[in-house]
Amino acid sequence: MPAVSPAASRGLQWLWQHLSNVRHPHCFECGPICQSTLDVLLLRGAKLYLSDLITPAQQSDSVFWSRQGKTPVFLIDNFLSQIPPIPPDSLSAICCWGLLDLLPHEALPQLVERFHSYLQPNGVLFSILREPSVTTGAETRWWFQSLTVLGSSDISHKPFPYPALTNREMERLFPGGNVKTFLTRSGRREVLGVK
Amino acid sequence: MWWEKKTRPVAEPPNIRPEEASPAPPEVETFMSEPTPKSTNPSVSGSQHTFLGRTVLAQGQISAGEDLLIEGHFEGNISLEDHCLTVGKEGQVKAEIRARQVVIMGSVTGNVSAREKIEIRRTGHVVGDLVAGTVAIEEGAYFKGSIDIAHNEGSETPADVATSGATT
Repeated sequence: MPAVSPAASRGLQWLWQHLSNVRHPHCFECGPICQSTLDVLLLRGAKLYLSDLITPAQQSDSVFWSRQGKTPVFLIDNFLSQIPPIPPDSLSAICCWGLLDLLPHEALPQLVERFHSYLQPNGVLFSILREPSVTTGAETRWWFQSLTVLGSSDISHKPFPYPALTNREMERLFPGGNVKTFLTRSGRREVLGVK
Repeated sequence: MWWEKKTRPVAEPPNIRPEEASPAPPEVETFMSEPTPKSTNPSVSGSQHTFLGRTVLAQGQISAGEDLLIEGHFEGNISLEDHCLTVGKEGQVKAEIRARQVVIMGSVTGNVSAREKIEIRRTGHVVGDLVAGTVAIEEGAYFKGSIDIAHNEGSETPADVATSGATT
């Protein structure tokens, strides 16, 4: 997938400023394997937990769906089993990129609650949500170009499968409701939930 | 067949041979990126590495003073402190691994520790925790686990410079 111009990220600037006193942050990266992301985070001194949750979500992998009834049911427990063992309250940051835009809304409370359980106090869940007016781009991939600059693949034409999350919905999803949102001019919102 | 291999056995197990004795080594993209630059056991054959072929099914502990290429199945522990381990495309390893350098093109389940570098190539499938000086994972590889870089305690990390809102 061709890359588009890297974009400075105010959300990431806030994230790393927030974690400036954390010498060895423990981070969970949910995106596809990307050497640039590894290099950036390891150079920052991070311990990384890796598991690509994005690709199976983008591909609507049948392993995560039960189609026995009239309505397909997303098997959130199967999906969460992809996450490697992570001690509770141990992570400084989770980068889930656009994952929340790719899963059915009924699965999100369990997913966000699980992420929240991994975060230490002051830990941050970093996500990218599309603006409601944006309907395509479900296959777009994101990575760290540097600590504060996002790289992304060319915006894909694949439609998003579910309605966009509103800021209010995100505040309800994230336990405690401490959510910061940074708007951009490119149709995305950088949303950070702080534990 | 279950057996335990040490590097300097008097008689070698039937399915483990120095590479020179192997009639048809499998096609491998690249062997170790930095093979150990000296013969580690010239008294045996003068070869620099040992090869576990595709038909090998083994369990136990390998402790070797030379590089090792695995194309078969192995379960147990592997310790090559000053040498390189390569798990070939056909290799399937369930083991705790310690080596100077590790290159994975096949399947590995278990924790991997390398003093210098761990490489997971695009055909690699790894579930476990990695600790190394550097880690490289090719796009297309599967990895689930954690990565930690060994830091010298008390030394200033690049993070100390990079965190004040600056880019890397």
